[in-house]
Amino acid sequence: MGAAGSKLEKALGDQFPEGERSIAVPPARLKTSREREGRERLAEKGEEEEEEAEGRAGAYEAAQFLERTTLPPVLNSFNNTYIDHKCKIGVKGKKKEAFLGTEVVCFEKAKRNRSLEVAITEDSVACRPHKSCSRIHTFGVLCSEISSQKKKTGVIAPKRFVQRVKKENELFRSYMHQDAHEFLNFLLNELVDILEKESRAAAAKNSPETSSPAEKTANGPRNLQANGVHREPLVTWVHKNFQGILTNETRCLRCETVTARDETFLDLSLDIEQNSSITSCLKNFSSTETLNAEDKFFCDKCCSLQEAQKRMKIKKPPQILVIHLKRFKYIEQLGRYKKLSYRVVFPLELKLSNTVEDADSEYSLFAVVVHVGSGPNHGHYVSLVKSHNHWLFFDDENVEMIDESAVQTFFGSAQEYTSNTDHGYILFYERVATTSQT
Amino acid sequence: MINNNNNSNGMMSSSSTNPQLPGLKAYFKTPEGRYKLQYEKTHPAGFLHYTNSKTVTQLTLAHLKEKPAQSQPAPTSSSSSSYSASSGVRLVASKFLGAGNGSRTLSFVGINGPSKAVAGTSSRIGSLGASPSSNFPAISNFDGKGTYLIFNVGDTIFISDLNSQDKDPIKSIHFSNSNPVCHAFDPEAKDGHDLLIGLYSGDVYSVSLRQQLQDFGKRLVGAQHYNKDGFVNNSRCTSIAWVPEGDGTFVVAHADGNLCVYEKNKDGAADTSFPVIKDQTQFSVAHTRSSRSNPIARWHICQGSVNCIAFSKDGTYLATVGRDGYLRVFDYSKEQLICGGKSYYGALLCCAWSMDGKYILTGGEDDLVQVWSMDDRKVVAWGEGHSSWVSGVAFDSYWSSPTSDGTGENVMYRFGSVGQDMQLLLWDLVMDEIVVPLRRYSTGGSPTFSTGSPSSYWDSICPVGTLQPAPSMRNVPKLSPLVAHRAHADPLSGLTFTQESVLTVCREGRVKIWMRPGHGENHSSNSETALSTSLKEKPLLLGNVGSSIYKQ
Repeated sequence: MGAAGSKLEKALGDQFPEGERSIAVPPARLKTSREREGRERLAEKGEEEEEEAEGRAGAYEAAQFLERTTLPPVLNSFNNTYIDHKCKIGVKGKKKEAFLGTEVVCFEKAKRNRSLEVAITEDSVACRPHKSCSRIHTFGVLCSEISSQKKKTGVIAPKRFVQRVKKENELFRSYMHQDAHEFLNFLLNELVDILEKESRAAAAKNSPETSSPAEKTANGPRNLQANGVHREPLVTWVHKNFQGILTNETRCLRCETVTARDETFLDLSLDIEQNSSITSCLKNFSSTETLNAEDKFFCDKCCSLQEAQKRMKIKKPPQILVIHLKRFKYIEQLGRYKKLSYRVVFPLELKLSNTVEDADSEYSLFAVVVHVGSGPNHGHYVSLVKSHNHWLFFDDENVEMIDESAVQTFFGSAQEYTSNTDHGYILFYERVATTSQT
Repeated sequence: MINNNNNSNGMMSSSSTNPQLPGLKAYFKTPEGRYKLQYEKTHPAGFLHYTNSKTVTQLTLAHLKEKPAQSQPAPTSSSSSSYSASSGVRLVASKFLGAGNGSRTLSFVGINGPSKAVAGTSSRIGSLGASPSSNFPAISNFDGKGTYLIFNVGDTIFISDLNSQDKDPIKSIHFSNSNPVCHAFDPEAKDGHDLLIGLYSGDVYSVSLRQQLQDFGKRLVGAQHYNKDGFVNNSRCTSIAWVPEGDGTFVVAHADGNLCVYEKNKDGAADTSFPVIKDQTQFSVAHTRSSRSNPIARWHICQGSVNCIAFSKDGTYLATVGRDGYLRVFDYSKEQLICGGKSYYGALLCCAWSMDGKYILTGGEDDLVQVWSMDDRKVVAWGEGHSSWVSGVAFDSYWSSPTSDGTGENVMYRFGSVGQDMQLLLWDLVMDEIVVPLRRYSTGGSPTFSTGSPSSYWDSICPVGTLQPAPSMRNVPKLSPLVAHRAHADPLSGLTFTQESVLTVCREGRVKIWMRPGHGENHSSNSETALSTSLKEKPLLLGNVGSSIYKQ
């Protein structure tokens, strides 16, 4: 552990809560391909192959990318989420159980809790020699390494995890620069994938002989239905935390029929403008768009192409709202990607008002992944994570405690040409209990 | 496009020397006419500061009245037609107007003007920008109104003459220990010290503005230093205000959630220690035991920074806004919380009172301009129109509704807001159209506010001394701006209204003066009448941008 770590520990003193650790994850050569403009990745399993193909093309294109990994910030952010939310889920699950008390919820809860164990404790993974577990295993080991550290601060090299990821995905094998947002997507999708496979395997194994009480009820009188749930997209802890539902409402301007289509999302990718706020970017995201001229809408009722109005609303706000700022934009005139250094302010508290229900869901900022660098082809990632009311700054193996007001130095630049190249790139907000007056 | 629309009066030197960005117009239209960019004021071109420095420019308007200057003679004032060799620093010249006929003694010598009486003529202290390019021709144009712009950029305070066309400031004061971040001016100050300056380090100075203008150095002169090296409070100053009619008391807000109350006539020498704050979330006031110490009191307001404070015009109430998103209104002399409420979300950054003390505007990180009613002790309207944080709000105390019949039944307010979206927005608040229907809430709804089921929000009574939680979106009527104008190429940090103009300032220290309709064209003759009216009436007293506005 470096001197910086002990200094931090000293600075934190008694304030540093028991059971909380600031572990830096130093760079390792994990790579993902550069983000492609316009791609709004949704965590749907069907898109996995497509993503890989697309990513490979992107990787090829971005062959000159050079430098470090995006892993540390995402992991740093993610670990925190992860550990915090382990506790959170416990509470949440109990609450739900008390209120609803349905078998389904019990069943899901059981699933979820067990999955979490798989993810974070080495033991439970070890006793499951399932092949697909290996990726998650390394991630789990990494997380458990962090959470079981005796030292409160320190550095862990995520070697095994990185090795594994590189082995599993050839995209990450090259020496190119990688995109934090893509990596986050990869990680979440991969986790979902593994958790699903595993739960299916577990369910198959468990269905003849009833093992746990939760599954007993699930497999009891409503056996068929329970199995049906299995086949349906399984709700893993990843979904519980990150997944929200968007609804895409299209209103035909001729017959006034509203067609609504739901989509799930793990994060929101927002277009950004110079000197704007996240609030305004979210507003633009769900602003009404008119489909006309060449871009008409086929109305099922009118059976023809009609002018229509379209808007996106958030139907189910996620527990953890991940906002990705589209800072890397393909500029057609230039024929290449450009980094937008725009100043986009993000508040420490946020409410989503573009929701379907009237209730405003309230969020609190807890992590920011910052891209350092002026161009799209190179740079460095650092991250800010709020841990028990302290903001911590992670830069490779250096961890520092920073003042809350320092968060605003990562908003971006009000002018195009500036020496400031540290820009907030991915924001993590977690939902808080609403206190608003009704 | 460089828009030189108001070039006719020859006052556009600034915009022609400083190319405008595309899309930045030099005027904007309102129902009553065009507001035109008259001129800009900024720091000297050669002045370097970190664009990403932590300090944001704030603007204070200061009107120096007829009054004898402090007894320190300015040794170099007689040579005021020369200018300093150091680039970027302009000299201050004093100037007599023929109209002055007071009988007080002036301790320094003016340079031109017909009534060059050595003593016995009280004059308005003017200044001129003796820039190399425009020497004496500027003087004939110079109307002598003693209104100055005080603004901070980086480690320097700049002072510009509001009515001169010179873009560069006439005075710069450099701070070596820390950056100045906030300031306030009291035109009624009795014994000289009328300007307060708060620093990033927590240090506070009080000085005489006149004395600074008479001095040719780059340092603060004759200053009284409070909270030296952050002895009492080492967190950043965020906002500073004189207590109206407070006999030299002033309040400094700090980033740690505390306010310190000082008396300018006391030295801060005696031991000043306050008890440790037991509960950070609770409001508490502590007084010093010793009568000689300064500060005399500490108010603990909230957790996190207090971002802005503003006194109601009569000094009865003190409004604070802060990091926790709450507006709080205190009875200043009783030291009691009267009312307050939470933003929609995020911190509040600015606040301002209406001239009659009935409404408070706040702006913050939810991109909303909030109108708080003191009668209802509730938010009565949300202004939606900014696409980023709202950094400055102010009522236009000089504006009178063209339809107003003066009975008070149809009270209408005009107010402005600026944001980090670079925009200046103007708003109309028509009381009977917006607020009254809300009070007698009808299910029919009015076009001015969003539909939704009637709720208890408007029926519930808010007891004195309680803070309201954040209202939900559907409960608060929405206002739309009358005008939205992209005023600068940088995020804005404040605005203020004068009789003739609206002033906007950006974070990087550029001030723009937008003349009201009918004021731009005949500026020089107009200023004569403006001068005479302001001599007859109480002078225009303008406080810190975004924190207080005084009725004329």
